Amino acid sequence: MSAAAIRTPVQRLLQGGTPIYLFLVVLIVVAGVAAPAFLSAGNVSNMLQQLAPLGIVVIGQTFVILLGGLDLSVASVMATAAVAATSFSGRDRDVPAIIGVTLAIGVLVGLANGLLVAKRRVSPFLATLAVMVVLQGLRFTWTHGAPSGNVPGLLRALGSQTWHGLPYALMLMLVLGAGAAVLLHRATFGRRVYLVGGGPVMARLVGIDTDRITIAVYVISAVMAAIAGLVLSGYVGIVDNFVGRGFELDSIVAAVIGGVALSGGRGTIGGALAGAAVLIAIFNAVLLFGLPVQAQIIIKGVVIVAAAAFYVKRH
Amino acid sequence: MLTLSNIHRSFPGVRALAGVTFEVRAGEIHALVGENGAGKSTLTKIAAGVHQPEAGHIAFDGAPVVWTSPGHAKARGLHVIYQEFVLFPHLSVAENIFIGHERHTRLGTIDRGRTRAEARDVLTRLGVDLDPRSLVRDLSVADQQMVEIAKALVHNVRVLFLDEPTAVISGHEVELLFERLRALRAQGVAIVYISHRLEEIFALCDRVTVLKDGQHVLTAPVAEISRERIVSAMVGRDLAELFPPRPASLRADRPVVLEARNVTLPGRVHDASLTLRAGTITGLAGMIGSGRTELAMAIFGGLKMSAGTLTIDGRTIAHPTPAALIALGVGLVSEDRKGQGLAMLLDVAANISAPALARFSRAGLLDRARERAAAEAEIAAFRIACRGAATSVAVMSGGNQQKVLLARWARICRRVLILDEPTRGVDVGAKVEIYRIMRALAAEGVAVLMISSELPEIVGLSDHVVVMREGHVAGTLEGAAITEEAVIALATSHAPGGVERAA
Repeated sequence: MSAAAIRTPVQRLLQGGTPIYLFLVVLIVVAGVAAPAFLSAGNVSNMLQQLAPLGIVVIGQTFVILLGGLDLSVASVMATAAVAATSFSGRDRDVPAIIGVTLAIGVLVGLANGLLVAKRRVSPFLATLAVMVVLQGLRFTWTHGAPSGNVPGLLRALGSQTWHGLPYALMLMLVLGAGAAVLLHRATFGRRVYLVGGGPVMARLVGIDTDRITIAVYVISAVMAAIAGLVLSGYVGIVDNFVGRGFELDSIVAAVIGGVALSGGRGTIGGALAGAAVLIAIFNAVLLFGLPVQAQIIIKGVVIVAAAAFYVKRH
Repeated sequence: MLTLSNIHRSFPGVRALAGVTFEVRAGEIHALVGENGAGKSTLTKIAAGVHQPEAGHIAFDGAPVVWTSPGHAKARGLHVIYQEFVLFPHLSVAENIFIGHERHTRLGTIDRGRTRAEARDVLTRLGVDLDPRSLVRDLSVADQQMVEIAKALVHNVRVLFLDEPTAVISGHEVELLFERLRALRAQGVAIVYISHRLEEIFALCDRVTVLKDGQHVLTAPVAEISRERIVSAMVGRDLAELFPPRPASLRADRPVVLEARNVTLPGRVHDASLTLRAGTITGLAGMIGSGRTELAMAIFGGLKMSAGTLTIDGRTIAHPTPAALIALGVGLVSEDRKGQGLAMLLDVAANISAPALARFSRAGLLDRARERAAAEAEIAAFRIACRGAATSVAVMSGGNQQKVLLARWARICRRVLILDEPTRGVDVGAKVEIYRIMRALAAEGVAVLMISSELPEIVGLSDHVVVMREGHVAGTLEGAAITEEAVIALATSHAPGGVERAA
């Protein structure tokens, strides 16, 4: 019996996603002390507002990464959802139609990604990159290059209003996150995701339909991205062809610093969402400290390397 | 030439070597034998400077040395040819031979002409007719092995370790390899020959050293020792004690559970047929690469057969898939325990429940308490050494990992259990337990198919043996006809009894 099997309570605390939670708390305390404005009600509300769309994308991205894949098409799905939101009259009565169209786009894109990866054995990187580009082309064609129109008030409220300082968008993220956590950590489906992610051949040999799990996971990711696109368009209020730009990489980075292993089979929803919160907090702190926006990018790179080194050492 | 004295070495959780002394002389072929886990690989790696001993000394050419790196040992003329070749399939024979020691022009680019010419020299010296320009991926396994040996000859090789060199070649190729090794011996090279095959040791080697559980058991001239003595030294007890007794009445008229007819997988299995009967252990023997694993995988649906039929309990399965076979009560434990068997990132409970998740689910949610309770019951039943159902399988020993896999299948495979190399990398104690479990499952009526490269296992456990050679079923053996010699004969040549063997 190896000593590694015996875990002290402290070690157990450091297993799973705990380090990222500790890091998040330390980050908030340090930033709050260094720049008191960081913890002002307005700033906190603002950060939570920004966290919501990223967090929603991260939820979907986590499923994909747990399978050892990644989804580069999420930003394109977000922009497409945002374009769909403004392609109607801009009145609240169109909201059900907008949601329907958006979810349908999400499902279709997810199916395309999932089928390419599962049935055609295209690498996730190439499959989702190709789908991203095709989707972009379709969107440009539809909008003739310059989307116009208004986001209905209801969506604007969802994306930018708060309930006593707590953004509605964040509530949506928390509900989706809780649902995803149950699905991943309590449901049979989630166990199958971990089994396939940990060893696709092994999973097939215990009778799991790995193709079905793969396709389902890409659909979840694309649908989450579509929802995030609606939330973000409501936050921004106007629409261009690149709503959500950068979210593909930010969502992957958030999941990775939250302890989701790119090799698959390891990580939690909670950890990934905490990773997203860390990213948002860092971006915000950079601006509060009066550093140029460009510093965000540099710090993001440093955080990625630090996270990667940390998890390599732990595993 | 090379002496290792009183070598100690441990790894986390295992004491790999406890005071082993081993010596090989110039111009001798010295066999190093022992069960899996006896310490042969560790000893080889210490000799080659891959691992450092915790205690003990190495003397090379009469003077004490401390290898600072594998490169250091290599520079002094010590080469190891591992079971897994270190070749680059897309490079040429010549480029592979000089890998890491490229011949340069004055401009610093690679001198292809010189590389090719010198490679041709080395190959000629080895007596191998190979074009230095051909790509390694186009060569047969036997020729690839010659390239590995040629790599060693480029340098002034003084000591050569070969780890199971015949595991992947057969018949005629083995004899060719032996000739080359004898020629090297005549040139004064000290050769350490690691093998499981006792008949090879008697055909080729001068002396033999047996290791068991990290300790030196004996060293003796091959001419003065019997086969039985070597076996009992390796195992540490009589073979008869290892295997559970066969049930007295095993009739051939037991009901057929699974029948595979004319299974073909292009290039790997040709027209192979197999019948499994309830309550019997069928051994599937043959050289590595003879198509055993592929045949089993095709039956289980893990590989797609291009032709052939599969019948289970009288029902024809048109398109076998693992899911369909599991539903019919068939299970498979892969030879690749870590890659295809266990979910290494998950705990014991999740590994045991993996093929039976539906049983522990209600409305799509997993009942983890029930899953854990079931796992605890299996841990007790199979005597799996671990700290409960939440133990990560990654930290467990090979034997206990294998028992986790047996526990996974034992409850749900009530018809057929296929086991591919079930005792690979498992210590003797766990082996005995695994044999008992297999026999107990058979007694409950399960048809067990066991693929094994270890002949004593095939002979000691099987009620019925199917031998494969080069993708074909070469023959079947039953009852008293099951002997190591008969299995080898079928595995290596067409005429039974006509084993090609050195004089």
